[in-house]
Amino acid sequence: MTKTLTPVAGNHACALAAIAAGCRFFAGYPITPSSEIAEFMSRELPRVDGVFIQMEDEIASIAAIIGASLGGSKTMTATSGPGFSLMQENLGYAAMTETPCVIINVMRGGPSTGMPTRPAQGDIMQARWGSHGDHPIIVVAPASVQEIHSETIRAFNLAEEFRTPVVVLYDEIVAHLMEMVELPAAGTIKQVDRKWADAAQANYLPYAETPDLVPPMSRPGDGHRVHVTGLTHTPDGFPTQKPDLADRALMRILDKIEKNRGKIEKIEAIETDDADILIVAIGIVARAARSAVASLRSEGIKVGLLRPVTLWPFPEAAVRAAANNARVVLVPEMNTGQLNREVERLVDAPAKVAGLHRVDGEPIAPGEIAARIREMIAQ
Amino acid sequence: MNAPATMPATTAQIQAAPTRNIMIVGVGGQGVIMISKVMALLGQKQGLQVKQSEVHGMAKRGGIVFSHVRFGKEVWSPTIAKGDADALIALEWAEGLRWLDHLKPGSGAFIADTRRIVPPFACRNRKTGATMNYASETPAEIVSRVADGYALDATSIAESFGDSRAANTVLLGVLSTTLDYPIEDWLGVIEQLVPKKAREINVKAFEAGRAWAEAAQADPSLRFDHAIAREKTYAKPQDFEVRLEINAAWCKSCDICVKLCPERCLALNEEQIAYLKAPEACTGCHICEWLCPDFAISVNTVSREPASA
Amino acid sequence: MNEIVRKDAVRPAFDIKDYLRLDLMPHFMCPGCGHGIALRALLWATHELGIEKNQLAVVSGIGCSGRVGAYIDANTYHTTHGRPLAFATGLKLARPDLKVIVITGDGDCLAIGGNHLIHACRRNLDITCLMLNNEVYGMTGGQVSPTTSVNRLTTTTPAGNCEPTFDACKLAEAAGASFVGREVTRQAPALKNLIRAAMEHDGFSFVEVMSDCTEIYGRKNDLGESPEMILSQKADMRPEAFGNVADQPFRPNRLVTGVLAKQERPEYGRTYRARAALERAKKGR
Repeated sequence: MTKTLTPVAGNHACALAAIAAGCRFFAGYPITPSSEIAEFMSRELPRVDGVFIQMEDEIASIAAIIGASLGGSKTMTATSGPGFSLMQENLGYAAMTETPCVIINVMRGGPSTGMPTRPAQGDIMQARWGSHGDHPIIVVAPASVQEIHSETIRAFNLAEEFRTPVVVLYDEIVAHLMEMVELPAAGTIKQVDRKWADAAQANYLPYAETPDLVPPMSRPGDGHRVHVTGLTHTPDGFPTQKPDLADRALMRILDKIEKNRGKIEKIEAIETDDADILIVAIGIVARAARSAVASLRSEGIKVGLLRPVTLWPFPEAAVRAAANNARVVLVPEMNTGQLNREVERLVDAPAKVAGLHRVDGEPIAPGEIAARIREMIAQ
Repeated sequence: MNAPATMPATTAQIQAAPTRNIMIVGVGGQGVIMISKVMALLGQKQGLQVKQSEVHGMAKRGGIVFSHVRFGKEVWSPTIAKGDADALIALEWAEGLRWLDHLKPGSGAFIADTRRIVPPFACRNRKTGATMNYASETPAEIVSRVADGYALDATSIAESFGDSRAANTVLLGVLSTTLDYPIEDWLGVIEQLVPKKAREINVKAFEAGRAWAEAAQADPSLRFDHAIAREKTYAKPQDFEVRLEINAAWCKSCDICVKLCPERCLALNEEQIAYLKAPEACTGCHICEWLCPDFAISVNTVSREPASA
Repeated sequence: MNEIVRKDAVRPAFDIKDYLRLDLMPHFMCPGCGHGIALRALLWATHELGIEKNQLAVVSGIGCSGRVGAYIDANTYHTTHGRPLAFATGLKLARPDLKVIVITGDGDCLAIGGNHLIHACRRNLDITCLMLNNEVYGMTGGQVSPTTSVNRLTTTTPAGNCEPTFDACKLAEAAGASFVGREVTRQAPALKNLIRAAMEHDGFSFVEVMSDCTEIYGRKNDLGESPEMILSQKADMRPEAFGNVADQPFRPNRLVTGVLAKQERPEYGRTYRARAALERAKKGR
């Protein structure tokens, strides 16, 4: 069977995937370099009986998608750094109230307005820790247009399965990159729907401590008439300040992700088994690293690449195993060392971790990575 | 008996004209002043001296308004003494009764609209079914008590022409049958005073008033509205009792119910919880229930209905 | 003698307990707080309109007003500060079958959430927004709000407020709200009728409820105890008929009550869906 390949740009692939994954509500606010997603959604959603709305700002956009998700829809918004910053409070609300939703963050140069049309990877830590308080979150980081498509679908499925917001984090280059993509046929796409509470169930608890840690959700109109609050709440949904109950409430939503790492984590490992030198990279930089691995291997240098596809929760075990077997670890990234520090935390000898950083709005080229590795070997 | 309108009053006629005292009473907005203006102009048309004095201090709708109109060869006092009014025109029933003692005994005409405008202070007691302080005399009683009585539902007559505000002109029509002035003069003055668009209705109202009065003069049993009997109360007697429930656990002692109860029947007890101190005074008005921020008060009325056989 | 318990001979039976989460009562609001009276009026209107509790969604923000919704036995959403209208917009668009009510406060709606208010007014999505105006940030201890009257003392205007005061209804009307009204809590039946009319209105309706913060604002400004505060509401307001007597340029201290604006405009959700259906039909051809 021959594959049918279609030329698709990154942001377009994201929108197509969202609709294929069942997204029926999109709220957004124009921002470079993510606006194309909103444009595609505004055209496509009405055709599948969905709703698109351009809100007054990014705060309202994420609020609207959470509201629609509470109503039972699969929902998404898309933005870039400045808008992502504005979304942080409500992102925490979605995490706290366990409301599934997908947030696309197309990374651009920062901080502040930064370089709107240039790529960057400066939101790695914000995607994890941007909202105040310890909160659960899943972040996926696709590196190609094909992967934007598959990871956006996976983001929806993870959001539904674990009742949590999922961030899709990619950079301006992949967003505007057009590649040949295999678009799966409609029927072949796996769609996960959140567990719905039985409408007839009496004594339903919206935040019950179920064995899988993910309580079934109730739709308004189903008859459970639940209360949803961003305040720390007990299984019945109402606020509490009792230390033991507060601890259980927060720990359950954190454990929900932590104890399901097996279902959430995803990495791509290229020639890591015998790697002396390990590269850890995500997104567009990983593509350059892959090329560097190929050229260095041809020179006989044992280099491997470990690419977290699920960025958060960070694939700790995989990185630790690969990094501890390696002599040195190189973390190239388009920031001043966000991923680098996360890797340092995991290896037995932090000194062997080196970074390769660019914050000038230019991507890191394969040659730069290869040159840096040759330097490291020479030392 | 009526002289042609075109003919000016002769000196002899003026000399012979007795002084006429007309009192017009009602409440604000009914057209008391309008009637007194008609009467004043009419008097002037006859070449007589006219004095008009009015009190309309409560000019807003509902306040008491009365007017004295006197005309004759020579008139000095602007006001009418008790027992001197040739005609008392009442646009509101109870207001007419208030001024009855001003009518000339033996000849005074009492012309009243039986329509009631009940002032708020006539129902001070808010208890449902409570006795109302509004005048309890019936039209039949009053008409039998005065020399020349007319009690009609002028408002309904005016309404039949499309505007209840023309009730005053209906009463003018009745009055016109008791005074010897040319009918054309009446109509001329009315047309002069009412706005153009209301002329047709007022002429109809005037003529209807005349027709009603002429019929009543021919058959005294038609002089009053038989439908209005004695009515001491304005609502059915209370057929239920009020039960006021106070949920002490929800009460936060804010005192709103205590201070806002119109009957002052609530109080705070020693624990600062609201309780019904004077159950007999409670009218079941619900204000405490509506204004309790803590939903601690529930007002229920319990009706007693006979068991069906 | 046969006794029949009836709520009232004239009004239909309304028992607020049917609409409350009784296990949460008594509620947490201070003694004399006007928000309780407003909540009763809302539930009373809901009852009169015969809205099913399961189909009722109440979205609120943060602050005293934000906590009011939790006592309603319905689908209740206590969202983030200033954002309830944005959450409600998503909810209503996704679920047009729900009756969506937003309960917000003067700070929540006019300060942090002002942007969402004006755009909700403009869009005309079928949501009823109740703004409980007690002129102060009560939950955080009594700071100045956009509706605090001039010269009033708050914990952040120790020398008296010298910022001009917002007239929320004028703002809503200017932003295009198709139904705007204001009422005081003292006139509870009138407030109920106003909320009812707002809920019946097809489109965005904005109701400003003049509520009392007795414990913090009242005390700080020596406005008397709860009864005195609620009694004084009448003097501070004038009915709509006398509205044109308003003589002060920005927000007159004496506000006007009643339905202040009402116009028929296309409801956003239906308009959007109709256009989408048209698009689908075009594509199908």
